[in-house]
Amino acid sequence: MKQVYLIDGLKAQLNMDLVLHAIDCMPDNPVYEEFVDEYADIHEELLSMAEPAGILGFGELTDKTATDEYVAGTKVIFAVTSVGDKIKQYSTRAFAEGDYVRGMLADAIADRALFSLEGRMLEKLKSVCGEHGVGILKRLEAPHDIPMEVQREAWESLSLKETLGIDISCGYMFDPVKTSCQVFVISEDADIFKAQHDCRKCPNIDCRYRNIPDDVQGIEITVKKGNEIKKLLYKAGQSVMDLLIENSYYISAVCGGKGRCGKCKVRVLKGVAPVTAEDEKFFNKEELGVGWRLSCLLYPTEDLTVSFELGDESEFVAVSEYEPGDVTVPKERTEFSVVADSCDENAPELKKENKGIADEDKEYHIAIDIGTTTIAMQLLGKTSGDIKHTITTVNSQRKYGADVITRIKASVDGRKPELKECIFKDLKEGIQALLKATGVEMSKVACIAIAGNTTMIHLLMGYDCDSLGIYPFTPVNIDIITGSMEALLGISGDAKVVILPGISTYVGGDIVSGLYACGFDKTEEIKLLVDLGTNGEMALGNEDKLLVTSTAAGPAFEGGNIEWGMGSVAGAICSVELDGAIAKCHTILDKEPVGICGTGVVEAIAELLREDILDDTGLLADEYFDDGFELAKTSDGRDIVLTQKDIRELQLAKSAIRAGIETLLIKYGVSKEQVSKVYLAGGFGYKLNTGKAVAIGMLPKEFADKTQAIGNSSLAGAVKYLREAEDGKALEKIVLISEEISLSTDKDFNEFYMEHMMF
Amino acid sequence: MAAEIINEISEFLQKGRAKNVKVLVEEALAQGIDPKEILNDGLLAGMMVIGGKFKRNEVFVPEVLVAARAMTAGISILEPKLVEIGNEPIGKVVIGTVKGDLHDIGKNLVAMMLKGAGFEVIDAGTDVDADTFINKAEEIGADAICMSALLTTTMPYMKTVIDTLKERGLRDKYIVMIGGAPVNDTFAEQIGADFYTADATSAAEAAKAAVLARK
Repeated sequence: MKQVYLIDGLKAQLNMDLVLHAIDCMPDNPVYEEFVDEYADIHEELLSMAEPAGILGFGELTDKTATDEYVAGTKVIFAVTSVGDKIKQYSTRAFAEGDYVRGMLADAIADRALFSLEGRMLEKLKSVCGEHGVGILKRLEAPHDIPMEVQREAWESLSLKETLGIDISCGYMFDPVKTSCQVFVISEDADIFKAQHDCRKCPNIDCRYRNIPDDVQGIEITVKKGNEIKKLLYKAGQSVMDLLIENSYYISAVCGGKGRCGKCKVRVLKGVAPVTAEDEKFFNKEELGVGWRLSCLLYPTEDLTVSFELGDESEFVAVSEYEPGDVTVPKERTEFSVVADSCDENAPELKKENKGIADEDKEYHIAIDIGTTTIAMQLLGKTSGDIKHTITTVNSQRKYGADVITRIKASVDGRKPELKECIFKDLKEGIQALLKATGVEMSKVACIAIAGNTTMIHLLMGYDCDSLGIYPFTPVNIDIITGSMEALLGISGDAKVVILPGISTYVGGDIVSGLYACGFDKTEEIKLLVDLGTNGEMALGNEDKLLVTSTAAGPAFEGGNIEWGMGSVAGAICSVELDGAIAKCHTILDKEPVGICGTGVVEAIAELLREDILDDTGLLADEYFDDGFELAKTSDGRDIVLTQKDIRELQLAKSAIRAGIETLLIKYGVSKEQVSKVYLAGGFGYKLNTGKAVAIGMLPKEFADKTQAIGNSSLAGAVKYLREAEDGKALEKIVLISEEISLSTDKDFNEFYMEHMMF
Repeated sequence: MAAEIINEISEFLQKGRAKNVKVLVEEALAQGIDPKEILNDGLLAGMMVIGGKFKRNEVFVPEVLVAARAMTAGISILEPKLVEIGNEPIGKVVIGTVKGDLHDIGKNLVAMMLKGAGFEVIDAGTDVDADTFINKAEEIGADAICMSALLTTTMPYMKTVIDTLKERGLRDKYIVMIGGAPVNDTFAEQIGADFYTADATSAAEAAKAAVLARK
């Protein structure tokens, strides 16, 4: 059956944006206008030079062109389209004359004209398939999917020399060069038509024409977690990680989905998932063989079934508890839940309590802490001041990066509207959940107080983040902000909204709120507050003067850059005891171990030091040096280990914190004994065993007996603000008496930093 | 004064302002400045700056193209004078895409940067066979032969060119450089080429260094 069909009705078209994009000429380029003008000058002439022609016909693969998937003899349809040689000749001439701009433009115009023939070619292909009662199973393109020799076979099979006047080189390239050849594998099933080029599976990832099509629909991703099976509909352009995050699964993405941190791994149980270069870096052959992939770079081209070990967001243990010295609030333990009727063990009791008090309060307030990872909210009675309900949720901006730096970058890269939309949505859903759980109507909410770090507030307000990321790190606005719900949160309602003030880009409203919660504005005693996180913010002083700073501890406390590290999710090892070299571990919610969270790392290291398996320079004993120290096994028998590199990461993080504390003490001119109280803020600090933090030298031993973990002090400050019905003067006072010092160039800091690297 | 106008030429070239470059080159000539100085310290120095920025991802292809076009404009004014005083280029290069391969954009960009580095460039085009490469090189007294290939089916031909050079006893006479997506350092070593470079700026820099080292 040797039948060929000329493709009629071909018409080349151009699109300036696509042409300019192909040569990396974006609207923000300083010479963009010049290219636009040049394009205007030449595109009509060049388009008129196009000589569109096309042909398709049946053939089969031979021994030379058989692939792993398609054997010799596989029935195919070859399709060839061309725009002739004239545009390319123009390009060559321009280059020879030194007019590089036109030379490059003409080449890109020729490409675009050629690609524009695709639609008509596919139409013709479809009608030919219809005529023969066959379908298309797959599209192959040389040299990525099939050897270049296939172009020779197509050339012969379609008699291209005779039909279209096309020659072929000894390297199997067509002449005219602006000619393209596709090979379509025929299916018996006439209903299948998978004929489009799919950029997602094309290995040429640097291609300027790479375009993730919108019309690849209907791919279904089945997620298996334990016994639970959920089917999700995949949208073109998403990675599997995007899809999972969108559906509220907790996926760790320290690097923001760039294939660098290896935390987002999933296992593909069914379906074919291409292996990326990054996959090869993180998984060995065996692991790749059983389907392990990085979900951030997994762009499915067919239905897949995936499973992963991490807990979903409903198991993300966010801290909403707090217990600052002079604020007494009913302690309430709430695991994460967007749906307000939490299955928490304390919940029934809580509800009873709520009903009792609900009567005396006519109006309510809502306190909100916007954290980089989690958001915590509480509804309290205006009169009683009692907490009625607590909600915590994961900040859905996470899909744009795990830390503030990647969020700032995303915002600067044009994701500002999406980031704002994310936080609006999270706040709206959280507020609605609070109201639903307590039966309070929106009209009864008098005031909403929000605390958050400077970046989170910038993203909420829609401020430009450009200046946050570059020296001298000037924020747009960190004053106290008051306004209507409509204006600040995009939700209709009458409540007044107050955003608590910050001190600087690095020391934001969350810290001011924490200082206020701990009463730093009304104490003569010298106290210290340390918020343990990626940026360890700290403040030292009393009501007269506060010194504040932040130190780059890195993501180690949140499990980042730790081989088996992860956030505080179910199954993460959170405490470790050693008996000789035998480890006894506890995991969050006592689930099967899946990794190690920050507190687990600290405890493991403290224990390794105690057992002399780790020396005071941070070197593991010889027998563990290469493969790490085994803490536990996963359910499928893999060793969860702490590696030498993990220990080095933690040394950097802990010495940054310690050096920050020492530097503040020196600058303030006080001894460790003069500090009356040390508050550890943040989720990590709350669960941290103070003794072990002292054991690894993160805190000085003088602080052992006066350190208190206070949990979410940012939320506590927002609650206190609402309870005490102040006008914000106390918060403004804290900002006023605070002086920020910069550590990066500080000589004392650098010396302390080196000194406390040791254990 | 001379230094100032030369500097201005370089600055305008970097911004791709062909007209300004042209006017200033004419003015510099009228002031009696040595055409060699205008070329080396003005035009070519500007191209070096932009080439370096391109390599460091500080500018993209479009900026390099407009700068190179401005260079062409400047040289067109300068050329008769340079011929008059008998100015020699720093070296001569034959460049082309090897037999069987019709890709030319990468090769064109390398040729552009080689000109920007002060070379006289003979572009043999695409689908170039061994004899054409070698005969052209012999004809003009070239210092280097630069080959490009974009396909695994055509890259072996680079070896054919080098083997032909050996057969004709000319291998040591030329610096042989290769480039293109499928080739790399290892391949260069295997086939006996002198250099592989990954981008147009590096190619021009390597060619310049190699030619100067030989002289």
